[in-house]
Amino acid sequence: MTPITSLIAIIGTLIVALLVSVWLPGIERKFVQARIQQRVGPPISSAGIMAPLKFFFKETIKPHSPMPKLYNALPIVSFLSVLFILLIIMPQLYVFAAFTSIIAIVGLLKIEEVIYMFMGSLSKSVMSLKMPFPDIIKGAKHPGTHRSYLEELSSLRAYRLIAFGSFPLYIALFVPVAMSRSIYLSGIVAYQQVHGPILFTLAGVLGAIVFFIGYMILLNEYPFAILKTKADVIEGPLMEYAAKYRAYVYITRGFLMFVLASIFTTLFLGIPPNLFSWTILVTIAVALIFPILMAIMSAFSPIFTYKQFYPTVAGVSVIGILAILASFL
Amino acid sequence: MNEDNKITDKKVIETEITMGTVHSAAIEPYRVRLFVEDEIVRDAEITIGINHRGIERIMEGLPVEKANSLTEKICGICSNSHIWNSVLVAEKAIGIDVPERAQYIRVIMEELERLHSHMLYLAHGSEVLGHETFAMRVFYIRETVMELLRMIGGNRVQYGVSIIGGIRPRCELDEMRIQKIREGMDIIDEKILEFADRFVSDPMIMARVTGVGILSQKQAIELAATGPTLRSTGVELDLRREMEAYDPFEFDIITQDDGDVKSNLLCRVLEIPEATKIIRQALDHLPDGKITNRSWEMQDAPITKSYIEVPRGKLYHSYSLEDGRVRNSIVRTPSITNIGAMQYAAVGHHITDAQLAIVQCDPCFTCTDRAIQIIKI
Repeated sequence: MTPITSLIAIIGTLIVALLVSVWLPGIERKFVQARIQQRVGPPISSAGIMAPLKFFFKETIKPHSPMPKLYNALPIVSFLSVLFILLIIMPQLYVFAAFTSIIAIVGLLKIEEVIYMFMGSLSKSVMSLKMPFPDIIKGAKHPGTHRSYLEELSSLRAYRLIAFGSFPLYIALFVPVAMSRSIYLSGIVAYQQVHGPILFTLAGVLGAIVFFIGYMILLNEYPFAILKTKADVIEGPLMEYAAKYRAYVYITRGFLMFVLASIFTTLFLGIPPNLFSWTILVTIAVALIFPILMAIMSAFSPIFTYKQFYPTVAGVSVIGILAILASFL
Repeated sequence: MNEDNKITDKKVIETEITMGTVHSAAIEPYRVRLFVEDEIVRDAEITIGINHRGIERIMEGLPVEKANSLTEKICGICSNSHIWNSVLVAEKAIGIDVPERAQYIRVIMEELERLHSHMLYLAHGSEVLGHETFAMRVFYIRETVMELLRMIGGNRVQYGVSIIGGIRPRCELDEMRIQKIREGMDIIDEKILEFADRFVSDPMIMARVTGVGILSQKQAIELAATGPTLRSTGVELDLRREMEAYDPFEFDIITQDDGDVKSNLLCRVLEIPEATKIIRQALDHLPDGKITNRSWEMQDAPITKSYIEVPRGKLYHSYSLEDGRVRNSIVRTPSITNIGAMQYAAVGHHITDAQLAIVQCDPCFTCTDRAIQIIKI
C-alpha cells in the first residue's frame, strides 16, 4: 500500500466512523429503549445528529468554573484521545509499532477517564449553591459545614471508576495479549489470522463478556452510571456544558461507542477497521450490536450504588482473570 | 434495624451536599441538605415552603362554595380528596344529609384517585431507582385510571365532583360509565399484579430497596407519620375504617413490617387491589336515587373539623362559617409529618439511596407548602 492510499484509507475510515457513530446514541436511547419502554420516543437521528447540530447554534454560556476555558476545552481533549485510539488501531499505522500497542490504547482510554475527574472538579454549578439565610438561621442543622458541589461528588466517583470501576475493561484488553503473547496490535491481529478469532475460544468468550461490562462502565450507562446518577449528581461532570461544548460531549460519546466496538473487533476477531476491506462491515455491525445490547441491559436495571457496584465489578474482574488464565491453557 | 438510623443533631459533620430546590429526582421543589461522610448520609435537613401560595389566606372571606373549589387547587394529585374534605366540613357544620348514591360516587372517585396516586408513586419511585422502563410501564397502566377520572370529572386533574350536599350532576354514573369503570378495574387488577410480580422478583431492584430508608415503628409513631408510610412500619391504622362513607364496604388494611423502601412500595402496591375491590363493591351496590341534596340553608357555624384518609394519609380541613363565608381556614396535609420523618429515614445510607428514602413517603410538596404553627410541648 502506498502512503497515499494509506492516507485515503485512514481518512475514509475516520469519515465512516464519524458517520456511523452519530447514529449510535439514537439507536441506543430511542430506537431500543423507547420501544422497550412502550413509548414513541424522538427520531433516531435526534440524540447523535440533530441535538449536536442544534447545540452548535446555541448561545455559549460561561460555566461557573474557576477555569472556564479549561473546562470547556476538556470535551475536545476527550474527543482527540478517542480519535487517536481509532487511528492507532487502523492497520495502516501498525508501522509505528510502539504507538500501536495495547499500552497506548490503555493510556488513551485512561486520558478519557481522567478527564471526567477534571470536569467534575472544575465545575461548580448553580445546582449546589448555598442559600445563606435558611442554612445559617437559628435552628438550621450544622450551619458551619463545608458545601460540596454535586460535580465534586461526581469527580470523586470518577476517581473511583479509574481506580476500580474500569478494571473489567482493562483486564479484558489483556486477554488477547495473553493469548497472542504480544502487546502489539499487529501481533494480535496476525495471531488471529493464523489461529482464528480469539472470540471463538473459551478465554475469548469470557473476555468478551468482561469487555462488554467494561464497555458499559466506561460509557457510564445504567446500571453503572454512578458518574451521572439522576437521583443525586444529575449530569455530574457534564452538567455545565452548553451549546457547542455539549455538542462535543454528544459527538464524543457516539464516537467512543464506535471506537470501543472497533477495539473489540481488532482484539477479539482480528478485524481492525479498514475502509479498503469488506471487514469494515463487521466493525460497523459490532458497533451497532453493542449499543443495542447495552440499551436492553440498561432498560431493565436500576442504577447501582457502591453496595451493588463493587461486588459486580469484583465478580466481573474475577471472570476476566479466569479468561486470562484460560488463555494459557 | 439500622443502627445509624437515629437523630444525630449533635454530631460534628464537615461536609454537606445540597439537592434542590430544583433537582431531577424531585417532581416538586424542595431542598434537602445531606450531611455526609464519604458519601454516607449522617444527617439530613429537608426544607419546604418554596411553593407556598397561602391558600388558607385566599380562602378567608370567600363564599363557601368558591372556597371549596379553591381547595381542589391545593394539589394536582389528590385534588378530589381536598374538595371532598372541605365539603365535608361545611356539611358537618350546617348538618346536611348527603344522599347515599352521592356518598358511593364520592368513594369511587376517592379510590380512583388513590389508584392514580399510588401508581404515580410507583412510577416516580422507579425513576429515582433509575429504572425508567418500570416507570414508563406504570405510567402506561395509570392511563386507564386517568381516563376514567376524565370520563367522570371531565378533567384529568381537577374533577370538581363534590359539592355541598352531594355531587355535581355531570358526574352522575350512568350504565355506560359504570361498565367502563368495571372494565378499567379488570385491566388494572391484571396489569398491576403482573407488574408487582415482576417488581418483587427482580433481584437488582430488591437489592436497591430492601433495608434502605428504614423508619422504625417507634419513630413513625413519635414523628406522627401517617397513611401508608405509617402502615409500612406495621401499624394497622387507616382512617377509612372510621369514615361513615366507607361503612358499607369491606376492605383489608395493608400493613408491612420493615418500614423500609420495599415495605412502602409493597404497601402501596397491595393497596391498589383493595381500592379496586372497594370500587367494585360500590358499583355493585350503587343505590338509586338523587345525587344532590339541595334542601339546606346556609347558616353560621363555629370552627368545624374534618379528617379523611387520602392516598398519603390523614388529611385535615377546618373552617368556620360567617354569613356564608369561610373564616379561619386550616388545611393540614399528611405529607408534612411524613416528610419530617424521612429526615431520619435517610440517615445511614448512601447519597443515592437518600433520595429514595425521602421519596418513599410519597411526598407532595405543593400540598404541604402552607403556613404551619409548630407548638413545642
